Formats: sequence, C-alpha cells, structure tokens
Amino acid sequence: MKEKIKIFLDSDLLEKYLLGTTNDQESLQVERYLAMYPEVRDTYNELQDNLEIYAKLHAIKTPDGLRNKIMARIKSENASRRKFFRYAIAASFAAIMFAGASYFLWNQNQSLQEENIIVNNKIETLKEDMRLELEDVRNQFIVLNNPQTKRYNVKGNNNAKDLKAVAYINPVKKLSYINVKKLPHISDNQSFQMWAEVNGEMINLGIIDEAAGKEKLLALPYADKAVSYITIEQKGGNQTPTVENIVAKIDY
Amino acid sequence: MSALLEKHIVELLQERDEKAISLLYEHYGDTLYGVAKKVVRDEELAQDVLQESFVKIWKKSDSYDASKAKLFTWLFRITRNTAIDKLRSVNTKTDKEIQMDVSDVYNLGVDSIKPEFMDVRENLDKIEEKYQIVLEALFFEGMTQQEASDELNIPLGTIKSRLKIGLRELKKIYGPSMMLALLLNLM
Repeated sequence: MKEKIKIFLDSDLLEKYLLGTTNDQESLQVERYLAMYPEVRDTYNELQDNLEIYAKLHAIKTPDGLRNKIMARIKSENASRRKFFRYAIAASFAAIMFAGASYFLWNQNQSLQEENIIVNNKIETLKEDMRLELEDVRNQFIVLNNPQTKRYNVKGNNNAKDLKAVAYINPVKKLSYINVKKLPHISDNQSFQMWAEVNGEMINLGIIDEAAGKEKLLALPYADKAVSYITIEQKGGNQTPTVENIVAKIDY
Repeated sequence: MSALLEKHIVELLQERDEKAISLLYEHYGDTLYGVAKKVVRDEELAQDVLQESFVKIWKKSDSYDASKAKLFTWLFRITRNTAIDKLRSVNTKTDKEIQMDVSDVYNLGVDSIKPEFMDVRENLDKIEEKYQIVLEALFFEGMTQQEASDELNIPLGTIKSRLKIGLRELKKIYGPSMMLALLLNLM
C-alpha cells in the first residue's frame, strides 16, 4: 500500500491536478487517491499552500482603473444574464400560452369532429328517408297510373258506417295501397288500426290518423289472396287485432 | 487569506453577489495579475487576461467545489489557463500576420511591485535558480514536464525532483521565520 502511494506521489499527477491540466480520467484517479489516503491529501494541501505562496511572490500591483473595468464587465454580465432570465420567463409564458391554446383548439377540434359525425349520420338517415319516401311515391305513381290497377271502394260495416276508403291493388306489380278518405267519429280513447293478413299471418300496419291520412296512400303488404282489416282499438293501438271490432275488410 | 474570509467570499460567489468579485480583486487581484503578467509577459495583455479571468470566475462560480480545491488554487487555474490561451492566440496571430518576433511586439514595462512584497521578492531571488526555472516553466509558461525537460535540456527525472523540492520544500528554502513573515503579509 505504501509502495502504491509512493509511486503515485512520485508521478507528476498530483502537480498536474494542482494546475488543472489533468484529463478527466487522471482527475478521477487523483480524486480517488485524495479520498483514500491522508498522506496524499496532506501533500495536496501542502502543494496548494505552496502554490499560493509562490504565486504571491510574483504579485504585481494592478494598474489603476482595472478594478472598475472589471466590475463594469461583471455588471454587464449580470445585466445580460437578467435579460436572459427575462427572455426565459417570457418564453416560458409563451410556451404555456401556446400549450393552452393548443389544448383549447384540440378540444374544439374534437367536439367539431363529434358534431361532424352526428351531422353525417343525420344526413345518412335523411338520405335513407328520402330514398324510402321517393320509392313510395314512385310506387304510388305506378299503382295509380297502371291500367291493370284495380280500384276498390271500401265501406265500413255497421259499426262504422261513415268509413270510406279506396284501395288500389295491382297484381302485376304486386303493389297495394289504401287511401282512407273518411273515418267515423270515435271516442278519444280509441283509434283505428290497420291490419293485413298475409299468408296466414296478421301484420300490424299501424294507426290510421284521419287528419294525416286524407290525402295519403298507405302501402299495404302485397300477397295473393290477402285480406286487410280496419279495427277500432284502444288509443295507441294493439299488438293483435280485436276481431269483434272489425269495421272494414278489404279482400284483394 | 483567513479561512473565514475565504468562506465568506465563497458564500457570496454562490449567492451571485457582485461583492464577491470586489473582495476577490482586493485580496487576489495583485497575485493573479502577477500570474497573468508572468505568463504573457506583457502589461496590456495581462490586463486583458485578468479581466477575462474575473469574468470566467464570475460565470463559473457555481462550479467551484471547496472540497476539491482551495479557493486560490481554483482562481490560479482559471487565470493561468486564460493567460496561456491568450498567449497562444496572440502567438498564432503574430506568426500568421506579421511574422514578427514575439519579444518585439510585447512592451516590457517596468513591474510596479508592491512595496510590501519587496523583501519577499528579494527572497525569491534567493531561491536557487535551478528550482525557479523549473517552477516558472511549469507554472507560468504552460509547459508540460516533458516540454520543460526538452526546452531546458534537463532530464525529466530532474525536472520532477526539482519541482517537488521547489514546491514541497518551499518552506525549508525560506525558513520558518520567513514563512511567518510571508503569511502575515499575505493575510
């Protein structure tokens, strides 16, 4: 161990370290020795003291005015540093503002995108509705215009003598429509409901609304030897028709 | 310098108080100017070096680590390196631009020696020249030991031993009473 320290002290590493001319690796080595061996530490401290004494032997009085020059330089260094900090603060603030604005815009973009999806869906639904409506109108036109269309006048039975409707059936195009012209007065808690029996199955065609139905052709599902019924049901309609309340029957 | 004052200056440096530079200049200005002058051998250049060194000291004050070096050692390193860099840059410029001998360019002004150092300086002359030459070559002229060996035509081993004796045995060369006088002077 003693040998190791002696070799180290005999090298000029400690002197080089004193002058700050060691490279990183050498500095680490010296610092390791300094930390580990008191003899090395003592020698280093002695070297430092001697350096200071030796350097002081060469002291020369500084020229007048140099001190003021230096202090002025230090002041301007500080000013530029303060300036730098001011800019740094301004830059940080700008960055925060930018982040805030970005988040705001991003958020807005998100909600706009959501809105866009909703609007697109609405447009799609509307298009589909339009398509169905158009098809219906086209079919109505075909039915009304086709010479092979048969026209049936439908009248209510004794329970609803005032009921008047016209059915248009076209067996070639397999289309059938009904136009309910007039409905007898019924109590407020009742409504007329349309049914069709197709291939032995009863299909609910929905409530007939007098006000809306006057000029409207209501499509009936087409089948050979189908039968349509109009019944009086409780307000809002029923899942299955009430047979004793049949007020009209259309065979086609 | 007293340990207390040194500690105070270091604290001021770390607090980035300009007073630290003022105190450093007061206590080390002459010594560091002497170091700079010794390296560049020109008064004007030495003044530039001292200015630049103090700016570096101020800028690097965060990096001073009292556990690794005494304050003066740190100041000395910065000043010496600044001076050596300055000398190199001036030398390259001179070599390139006017191809003139360095000694013609530098004005060799008269050292204004502090009176209180007069006797010290006389004593410095008493240090055996062989040690002085080695110490100056290494400390002030920025030579490595190998360069000093080549330049001074002294074997590397001798350079090493003279440096060691010159530095480590400084006290013995001066004698205890001289050291005391020196220390009192410097404090």
